[in-house]
Amino acid sequence: MKKRSVKKISKKPLPKKPVPDFSLPPMSISFSPSLAIKTGTWRYLTPVYVNKLAPCSEACPAGEDVEAVLALAGEGKFLEAWEKIVQENPLPRICGRVCFHPCEASCNRKEFDEPTSINALERFLGDYAYQRGAKIPLPPEKRSEKIAIIGSGPAGLSCAYHLARLGYNVNIFEAQPQLGGMLRYGIPAYRLPKEVLDQEIENILSLGVVWRPNSALGRDFIWEDLKNFDAIFLATGAWQSLKLRIPGEESSGVISGLEFLKKINTGQEISLGERVAVIGGGNTAMDVARAARRLGAKPLIIYRRTKEEMPAFAEEIAEAEEEGIEFIFLASPLKIISENGKVKGLECLKNTLGPPGKDGRPEPQPITNSNFLLEVETVIPAIGEIPDFSFLPQDLERTPTSLKIKETGAANLPRVFAGGDIIPQPRTVAYAIGSGKKAAIAIDATLKGKEIEEALCSARWGEKGSLSMALYLGGRQDKVPRQVVKFADLNPAYFQHQSRSAKEKLPAHERILNFAEVNLGLNRDKALMEAKRCFNCGVCNLCHNCYLFCPDLAISARPDHQGYEINLEYCKGCCICVAECPRGAISVEVKK
Amino acid sequence: MKKLLTGNSAVSHAVMLARVQVISAYPITPQTTIVEELSEFVADGRLKAKFIRVESEHSALASVAAASAAGVRVFTATSSHGLAYMHEMLHWTSGSRLPVVMVNANRAIGAPWNIWCDHSDSLSQRDTGWIQLYCQSAQEALDTVIQGYRIAEEVLLPVMILEDGFFLSHTSENVDVPEQKEVDAFLPPFQPRYKLDPQEPHTFNIMADPTKFISFKFAAQKAMEDAQKVIAQVDREFKSRFGRGYGSMTKINLADAEVVLFTLGTAASTALEVVKELRKQGKKVGLCRLRQFRPFPTAEICGVLQDVRKIAVLDRDNSLGAGGILAQELKAALFALGRRPKVFEYIAGLGGRDITPQDIQEIFMSTLQKPQPPASPIWIGVEK
Repeated sequence: MKKRSVKKISKKPLPKKPVPDFSLPPMSISFSPSLAIKTGTWRYLTPVYVNKLAPCSEACPAGEDVEAVLALAGEGKFLEAWEKIVQENPLPRICGRVCFHPCEASCNRKEFDEPTSINALERFLGDYAYQRGAKIPLPPEKRSEKIAIIGSGPAGLSCAYHLARLGYNVNIFEAQPQLGGMLRYGIPAYRLPKEVLDQEIENILSLGVVWRPNSALGRDFIWEDLKNFDAIFLATGAWQSLKLRIPGEESSGVISGLEFLKKINTGQEISLGERVAVIGGGNTAMDVARAARRLGAKPLIIYRRTKEEMPAFAEEIAEAEEEGIEFIFLASPLKIISENGKVKGLECLKNTLGPPGKDGRPEPQPITNSNFLLEVETVIPAIGEIPDFSFLPQDLERTPTSLKIKETGAANLPRVFAGGDIIPQPRTVAYAIGSGKKAAIAIDATLKGKEIEEALCSARWGEKGSLSMALYLGGRQDKVPRQVVKFADLNPAYFQHQSRSAKEKLPAHERILNFAEVNLGLNRDKALMEAKRCFNCGVCNLCHNCYLFCPDLAISARPDHQGYEINLEYCKGCCICVAECPRGAISVEVKK
Repeated sequence: MKKLLTGNSAVSHAVMLARVQVISAYPITPQTTIVEELSEFVADGRLKAKFIRVESEHSALASVAAASAAGVRVFTATSSHGLAYMHEMLHWTSGSRLPVVMVNANRAIGAPWNIWCDHSDSLSQRDTGWIQLYCQSAQEALDTVIQGYRIAEEVLLPVMILEDGFFLSHTSENVDVPEQKEVDAFLPPFQPRYKLDPQEPHTFNIMADPTKFISFKFAAQKAMEDAQKVIAQVDREFKSRFGRGYGSMTKINLADAEVVLFTLGTAASTALEVVKELRKQGKKVGLCRLRQFRPFPTAEICGVLQDVRKIAVLDRDNSLGAGGILAQELKAALFALGRRPKVFEYIAGLGGRDITPQDIQEIFMSTLQKPQPPASPIWIGVEK
């Protein structure tokens, strides 16, 4: 039998291990530094700094980076704020006066107290920069290509400006003796003083833009004369007033809304008599009535639906009412009564509101035998305008009311683009400016051999079609539109209620005496206060809340002071930083 | 330099002299003027400190406790309901062994609503682990704040300094305000043994399991026992530098006294006058004003009072259903003695009711006359 080997148990004592000192400190603190505890391993949600899109910036048809402008203005950097605006829009002093400010309509602050006075701030910044002689920088390099711009309204000016800043040789052809289009000949001086318009246009021309006044296409030159240009931008506007198409329209004392505005805007004498009937409910009708009031007449606005359906901006309607302008709602003109060829009265028919029509608005329905007579000496129809296509080549595709264009702003002829009131889009200054910029980007892309669609995609702010020259030039990586910040994404606990600095206006009884500007603008202090009211939705402004709240000290300020960094080794994903960010600049990703 | 200062102003000056770095407080009468003046010192740069505004006393103490954990010298002040509101943080501060110094201007606790002095606010916090020192004069309040930082930073326990609301907080007296350099020599900058440091972060107040928790509590108890010696030693050193010392109690005519009045705070000043008067009349009366309530100086009390036949305890507080808190503490301390003095209990001065010389004389006379203490405390000043 094999002897089993038995392992002898050693009697020798084991070497003593050093006993660690576990004597308790006076208070319960961890023995080892807590850096050893990688709390990041607990994380299943990850906070990420993602600057988002403020709803104002998305809503601006001219594509201004509204949030960034207000952030700079809030720091008192007014000139830098102005520079930020004119990267996108050369006409802040004009938009600051006449824009319908969809930015304010979308401002998140309206859910908290009142929207930020963005429009009044834009005017302040424009005026401030002008008073300090701020100049738009000349393009770093000149290019050889020549671009023809037909029409010098806000669309043409915007396109000319952006192309000039990109270094192109820009030639503006203008049918009228002066530049500005509808800005000059359509908008009365009490809303937009002519010297402001002149100064803003001068800024654009200072970039080396060549312009030819009294040069109407089809009258002073023909389409073929443009063949040497590398691209053409058509922005001839909508200047044909729609006719009432009722008996008596050719009588003396009937003048179209635009014709009337052009006369008063060029200082021509005009005799209206006392009672003036203005037909229509749009902004032209308001301008006409308010201008007539300033000439001493007693205007009467006749609109076929009710005040609710009026397409004019609420502010315009309110100011017209303040100035004592009368409104007759639910009435349509039937016949202009004249004596010896001269207007004597207007016969109207009462309406009732019927079911909604194609555009969703209730259709007016005439009430039989409801005729009534108004004694008037002048009738000014202002029921809409359409573009004049008579001077354009026949092969340019069009509909009865607008030019047919592609999504890119391109017409069906090569290297021909269009914008402003001749294309189907809302007829406002801001949309016109936006369409001019769009064409500038499209033309630049075309001439540099780039895909237009891709170029425009890289420039878009959000889903509402507004475009940014800064984004286009910056060469953006993400092709998806940025997420828009809603009020629910903010933490309003960090904001204080403060009513907005309203625009100050001349009192109504002073306004009707002349064409002096109605709005008085903001002073420096009020502008600064107003800019500070901005929530800076979606954009980190280094408020430090995330840093202060992080329970793991995982957040630190970046050395370049451009934001914060999250140390993911220790971020346990509690996302308190997300909840405490006042402006929704931190997002949550559900992954490690 | 001599200055005419209220008790509260004396405290503010002491806090400035102690070069406190973080102050946080919420206003409450009669404490408010302490931090009001401190906020001015901070605003005009005389005191280089951060003044943290908060929405409550709970946050005030939480703020200074956190700052103390980060290794700086801190101060807060409160009264009455404010102290009650701090209750949770009082435990956390002592349990974290943070050398916070607080002044509480004593004020009754409602209801009914009352803003005047009694000791019910601080005595009902006796079990929160804070050292409690009761002052009798503005000078003592100033000196005790300066001493308080030495004590707190040595034993790592928070110190609560008590001054009678209005009687002391709002009356002025001549106070010797020491020179900054003298105070600097007595009170060097705080050198924390442990501190919160983002560069080398440790978890503070980490959970202590059942095997450890009792050890921390025992260590704190040892520290509180050590505090007896430290308080005495700091007081001796203070006296050698500044010429003023207070001890754990003030002892007047104890040697041959038949009756000794035992009390806290400013009532002792009134009592002193009565003792002098009665001594002139040949009555053998004495006075023991307790300064150090926590840690309770049991051994010393037994030593000085063991041969006294009768002790009249004047409580400016009452624990419903048990009597005056000071009397309970004293009786518990005397229990170890073989032959114990008889303890007569009086409740007086609640909610700022004056304790007059007549009241005190009555207490002495009734104690002298009665052979045995009555079954329950005698209340002075209750309207019939």
